[in-house]
Amino acid sequence: MLAQIVINGILKGGLYALMAMGMSLIWGVMDIINIAHGSFIMLGAFTTYWLFTLLGIDPFVSLIFSISILFVIGYGIQKYLINLIIRASAFITLILAFGIEIFINNAALVAWTADVRKVKVAYGASNFSLGDWVTIPTVRLLAFMLVIVIGTIFFFILNRTDLGRSIRSTAQDLDAAQLVGVDVARTYALTFGLGVGAAGAAGTLWSILFPISPMMGGILTLKSFVVVIIGGLGSMLGPILGGLTLGVAEAMGSTWFGSTYENLISFTILVLVLILRPKGILGGAD
Amino acid sequence: MLLGIKELDAGYGDVQVLWGLNLKVEEKQIVALVGSNGAGKSTLLKVISGLMRPYRGQILFRGEDITRTPPKEIVRKGIVHVPEGRRLFPQMTVEENLVMGAFRRRKDKDIRPELARVYELFPRLKERRLQKAGSLSGGEQQMCAIARGLMSDPRLLIIDEMSLGLAPVIVDDLVEILKEINSRGTAILLVEQDVQLALSNSHYGYVVATGRLVMEGPSEELLQSKEIKEAYLGM
Ligand SMILES: Nc1ncnc2c1ncn2[C@@H]1O[C@H](COP(=O)(O)OP(=O)(O)OP(=O)(O)O)[C@@H](O)[C@H]1O
Ligand SMILES: [Mg+2]
Repeated sequence: MLAQIVINGILKGGLYALMAMGMSLIWGVMDIINIAHGSFIMLGAFTTYWLFTLLGIDPFVSLIFSISILFVIGYGIQKYLINLIIRASAFITLILAFGIEIFINNAALVAWTADVRKVKVAYGASNFSLGDWVTIPTVRLLAFMLVIVIGTIFFFILNRTDLGRSIRSTAQDLDAAQLVGVDVARTYALTFGLGVGAAGAAGTLWSILFPISPMMGGILTLKSFVVVIIGGLGSMLGPILGGLTLGVAEAMGSTWFGSTYENLISFTILVLVLILRPKGILGGAD
Repeated sequence: MLLGIKELDAGYGDVQVLWGLNLKVEEKQIVALVGSNGAGKSTLLKVISGLMRPYRGQILFRGEDITRTPPKEIVRKGIVHVPEGRRLFPQMTVEENLVMGAFRRRKDKDIRPELARVYELFPRLKERRLQKAGSLSGGEQQMCAIARGLMSDPRLLIIDEMSLGLAPVIVDDLVEILKEINSRGTAILLVEQDVQLALSNSHYGYVVATGRLVMEGPSEELLQSKEIKEAYLGM
């Protein structure tokens, strides 16, 4: 019983980790709290939904499309919008992100109505058992493994490529990065593209596991936010630890108190972490 | 003339800091720029390296107008600015910092010879190459900052407040290394509050006060001048 709950929590926590990775990157590098993050997850989910419904493309295959499309959207938004006001206060960027969120959500409402939809793949209900106690839905395990793959690619980009070096140096010292010749405007655009692309991937995986609708973004932004706060900024380990923590806590909480309390649990954790460890479980990098 | 600055006005928003500044650095020279707190020295350096745009005036480097060139191009043209306060990438290792210094040229060139040359100048950095830059001592951080600047093989090395907060023995070591770098053909613009130090280790000097040039001349002559002795050396 407990093993089942923990495994459910870990599988969902992986998805939370992926959601938060993009938000954490954008936040850590540019000091932007991307209120619109959940809306980008929603766009990723709908990309997958339409590719599946209209063209019959398998949702797992459509990951490539949702990531690419959302990457381009993110790159463009940073380059032509946010970069113009990046020197203004954090409050101004927050307002802009808020505006982007309202715009995306309402455009999606107009285009797709408020209907709740589901990506119904043929293999959606299949599962397998481990011993007598634990049943694992195949799609959830698959989604979890993809989170690991995407996370590894993320890690590779950040630590082993020129782009990653530009991103890390810019995050650590903006002026110094410029002085060694890093193109900060371009780095910012690519960072936002990466973060939003990761949101797109999370949206695809979300649409495979749960129902979707144009208004799903708000709560996902909040959950990503909670995960980032739990894990702390500054490394990729933060969102992973935070995501798994939230996933397991939610799974336990909704088993013991009922699933209506699921969202309350994440915010209880948020408040506790802010009181006890304001820099996250890992204590923050600086 | 390597670097020429003509009639430069610059500042922050409405607050003008530099007023009609003129300055020159010749090939292979060490030039000192001195002045007290808030004189505008660091502001001038930010304008040279492209971090800030001037209101008016012109900056020439090897005959080319670079007044509104972005920092990444300035680095490529051969000017490196080692900023006040070292400004290393604290979570990167010493070697990663050095590799970042060659960021603009790594694609076209093998940087290993550069790295070897820099480690030869600063053996301490080689010992600590895998240590996080944020955990170095003040002197080592300054070495690392200079070394990172050298990685792009500059023609002009600009160093802001090199001596600040460092023990005299370490400053002496650093000065010797600067002279070695200079003898290999790199011009140096040494920006200091420590007037004695800067003028006794340079060929030519400029003195600024509240954003205006108040004196210039060969460093030895400046050191002997009555005004400098009274105003800056406390004699
Ligand atoms: N970012 C900024 N915004 C507004 N004013 C600034 C800024 N940076 C510096 N100043 C002002 O510009 C003037 C010149 O500062 P600057 O840092 O260039 O002086 P400095 O000669 O380098 O001084 P120090 O020897 O203390 O380093 C000062 O009056 C300072 O208050
Ligand atoms: Mg200064």
